[in-house]
Amino acid sequence: MTATSIETARRDTTRRARSSQGLSKEAWGRIFVTPYVLIFLSLVVFPVGYAFWLARDPQLYVELAKDPVFLRTAINTLIFLLVAINVKMMVALFLSGFFTHKRWWVKVLAVLFVLPWAVPSIPTIISMRFMLNPEWGVINQLIFKLTTEDGPNWLNDPTLALSLSMVVHIWKSLPFWTLILLAGRLAIPLELYEAASVDGAGPWHRFRFITWPSMRTLYVTCTLLSMIFTVGDFNSVYLLTGGGPADLTHVLATLGIRYLRLDQVGLAMATIVVALPFVLPLVFFMMKRLSR
Amino acid sequence: MNTRKLLRNVSLESGLLLIGIPVFLWTMIPLYHMFLFAISPKDAAFSGQLWPTNPTLRNFEIVFQQKHHFLYNFWLQMWNSLWISSATAVITLMVASAAAFAISRLRMKGGRLVMNFALFTYFIPAAFLAVPMYKTMTIYRLQGSDLSLILAMVTIASPYAIWILRQASDKLPVELDEAALIDGASPFQLFRLVYIPLMVPSLIAVGTYALLLAWNEYLYAFLLLQSEKTLTLPVALGNFLSADDSPWELLMTAGFIYALPPAAIYYAFRRYMSSGLTAGAVKG
Amino acid sequence: MRRAIAAAAALAIALSAGQALAQEKLTVLWVKGFYKSEDDALYAAIKAYETKNPGVKIELSQYAVQDMIPKSVAALDAGAPPDIAYSDTYDVQVAGKWAFDGKLEDLTDLITPMKDRFEAVALSTAFLYNDKAKKKSYYAFPIKQQTLHIQYWKDMLAQAGFKESDIPGTWKEYWSFWCEKVQPASRKATGQRTYGIGSPMGVESTDSFQSFLSWVDAYNVKLVDDSGKLLVDDPKVKAGLVNALRDYTEVYTKGCSPPSSTTWKDPDNNVAFHNRTTVMTHNYTISIAAKWLDDANNEQLTAEQRAAGRKAYDELIATSGFPKKPDGSPMVYRTAVKVGVIFQDSKNKARAKDFLKFMLEEANLRPYVEGALGRWFPVTKESQKSAFWQADKHRKAVYDQFTAGTTPFEFTKNYKFTILNNENVWAKAMNRVVNEKVSVDKAVDELIARIKEVAG
Repeated sequence: MTATSIETARRDTTRRARSSQGLSKEAWGRIFVTPYVLIFLSLVVFPVGYAFWLARDPQLYVELAKDPVFLRTAINTLIFLLVAINVKMMVALFLSGFFTHKRWWVKVLAVLFVLPWAVPSIPTIISMRFMLNPEWGVINQLIFKLTTEDGPNWLNDPTLALSLSMVVHIWKSLPFWTLILLAGRLAIPLELYEAASVDGAGPWHRFRFITWPSMRTLYVTCTLLSMIFTVGDFNSVYLLTGGGPADLTHVLATLGIRYLRLDQVGLAMATIVVALPFVLPLVFFMMKRLSR
Repeated sequence: MNTRKLLRNVSLESGLLLIGIPVFLWTMIPLYHMFLFAISPKDAAFSGQLWPTNPTLRNFEIVFQQKHHFLYNFWLQMWNSLWISSATAVITLMVASAAAFAISRLRMKGGRLVMNFALFTYFIPAAFLAVPMYKTMTIYRLQGSDLSLILAMVTIASPYAIWILRQASDKLPVELDEAALIDGASPFQLFRLVYIPLMVPSLIAVGTYALLLAWNEYLYAFLLLQSEKTLTLPVALGNFLSADDSPWELLMTAGFIYALPPAAIYYAFRRYMSSGLTAGAVKG
Repeated sequence: MRRAIAAAAALAIALSAGQALAQEKLTVLWVKGFYKSEDDALYAAIKAYETKNPGVKIELSQYAVQDMIPKSVAALDAGAPPDIAYSDTYDVQVAGKWAFDGKLEDLTDLITPMKDRFEAVALSTAFLYNDKAKKKSYYAFPIKQQTLHIQYWKDMLAQAGFKESDIPGTWKEYWSFWCEKVQPASRKATGQRTYGIGSPMGVESTDSFQSFLSWVDAYNVKLVDDSGKLLVDDPKVKAGLVNALRDYTEVYTKGCSPPSSTTWKDPDNNVAFHNRTTVMTHNYTISIAAKWLDDANNEQLTAEQRAAGRKAYDELIATSGFPKKPDGSPMVYRTAVKVGVIFQDSKNKARAKDFLKFMLEEANLRPYVEGALGRWFPVTKESQKSAFWQADKHRKAVYDQFTAGTTPFEFTKNYKFTILNNENVWAKAMNRVVNEKVSVDKAVDELIARIKEVAG
């Protein structure tokens, strides 16, 4: 159906609806959207405005830039966003295909698979920290038993420590994104696949010509959203490395919380404003995509 | 022909296993390590063993019977978590599905604008909005009530929920609405009788999302809730971080137990997940 | 749906308004105790106060220690602070700043009459500078204090072939004893990879800077004078810092502290000690020994576990003070005095002060402090003389350390040291040396530069 014919049909139904009911479709639309608009006005516009007001003093940014860990933190945040999120989303896309298969054990696995998302962060990440302890942790004990050599001092190396924070992040949030992409896949009409398999298309072709085109918007937007959500994720870093060794693995979220702990609300808010250059293009890009 | 089909089946099955086993290990190893703490006697888990020499269920008993200082309100706090996250999920679903319906099906004017503004919520990461949000709740005189946390969680969950639901509902055939409207159904009936049933898989995904968002929320929960009796469990688990020498095995046990209700809820609803759209499409 | 929210909101407002009308309300924000006995003592005091003042209802909110400051900050910012607030973290992180910014209520009228009951050094940490009023005054109240202790396994020491009397009393010899004698002997005797010393060096830990600053004290370094002015330009200060940093990091570079100690958070040195990875560790509070006492008293544990706890506390673990300083004089311990506050913007300040007066009475404060099994030392002279501190050798050791004389932290004189501690410039300097192989001299130069930048 072309755009114009949809348009005509829509106008038709609207007219008919208006004649049969007291309220126009437009009015109904407004009613349906009102609850959200109220929430948005009262709980988004006001707090966000207030956050900016708290961060209004230019002196704060001078102070922030003077913090010696600031630059490193900004770079870490960027790495975290680019690497962790892309890896996570690609794996999630792949696994969402896996979970569409109807096997009893896949169903069981799917339930187990959501558990990481359901466990609270504090015990899980502390448990992982214990696992990684180089002297008595399970991993290094195992390495020692198998190779009679010492395992690495996991969290003492900034690259390794940051990578492990990313692993923790991926472990914790992979189920969610897989689930969303799975819902996206399930929304693709089966007929398309049936038609394709009659044509003898292989799995790659099915993915390339059916799955990907219908999932692309969802996938890209999820990636953008995940990046935005992750700017505020402080658990994976805070509970695992605490920003260590020597403050080399901080991200903007952990730095912000550190200021909050010293009652430097202004600086904490300024950290957000500084984070905006990371978020802004993402939000812009996202809004643009959605407007198409 | 038959052998080829068999061969293809075998390779498909083994391919699935080849994915399934690593997924299983990846998911379970950290959980197993937590579980190891949960079934180990005090301090025994720190020896780096793969299975405790004297496994015990004592930790579960202590948690279930609330016999530790940090866990005196375990069941109450579990209930608080359940109530707050269920309320968040339900309200989010109502608000978001209504908004998505208005934007996607009723094609109301300014729908796109609403969508864009909604996504603006994520302009500032939630973790940073905590202090302003507290201020806002104080102004509305809601600080300390569970409603404040529910509303905050709905605020954070809704934009994403609306967006996902809009995505899914854009894929529904337009003819469905038209048929219903010609039959004389009001948009409200259309929403309730046609739209909602067709959206089930996405509603489950989004509902689980909202539920778990509130279930594991830490920062907002400790800022917005006030007395020990109204706290959710993740905040109470923060007590274990309050000194340098905590009963870690109880922390792990409680954390492990805490993961089960949402998994059960998800399991209960999961079977609807694959049914929704495909079944609806056949009917339509 | 909307109506439901509105109705619920209206109901919540109505309920809270209704309560306010019925009784005078006092909101108390108090850190959650680690032991049940601590909280029980607090509840008892609150109940006693309510009985004494029937018109008053105390609304208590308790949070884990790491949540207390964000919570207080949010409440302050929203213009709705509690009437009275106490957390174990206020002194190290915010009290000085709050006083400086003029956010705190002057408690001089309340504290002056009871001044003689308190230990002088403890009280001095509540005497803070207000930059708005341009004066120093009692802007906080002391509750309890802590200092650095040495803990070691006596049985591991014996297994390594040493007696307690073999432990040297002089600085250099003391550290080399644990590192170069006990560690190799212990490894040989047990066949395990044990470490002589557990030396906290993690950036995200308070143990690391609290320990390190005691090394600074050992070299008689004064970083600030009483008016809060920096003294770091003095070449003697630099020399002292170099010595302290060298001594502290040498333990690690010689392989005498576990490799992970550069990433330790506060619980990690306890864990490493409990599972006998380390023979000795230094820790701020005797939480390590107290854990075993708690096990011994814990009815939830099996009889063997309780017996093991009793044995560890009574026989196997020792608590002690430090060796003599490098110059041969006895060690002076740095005390962290835990303070609470009443805010300028608190709604019910008069009642808060009255409650505080009641809480600081011997009969109410002592059970609260002693409820912590010896983790916290009292700030009142009378409580310090309590039989509790003579009951066993761990507590006696704590008592001896405190009565030997204490010195306060820098941040009581210059609040910006709270920023330095929170940034943990001290642990960062250690990491520069042990991980990035920078010379001690250069690391100290960087350290001094940062101190001047932040606190100058």
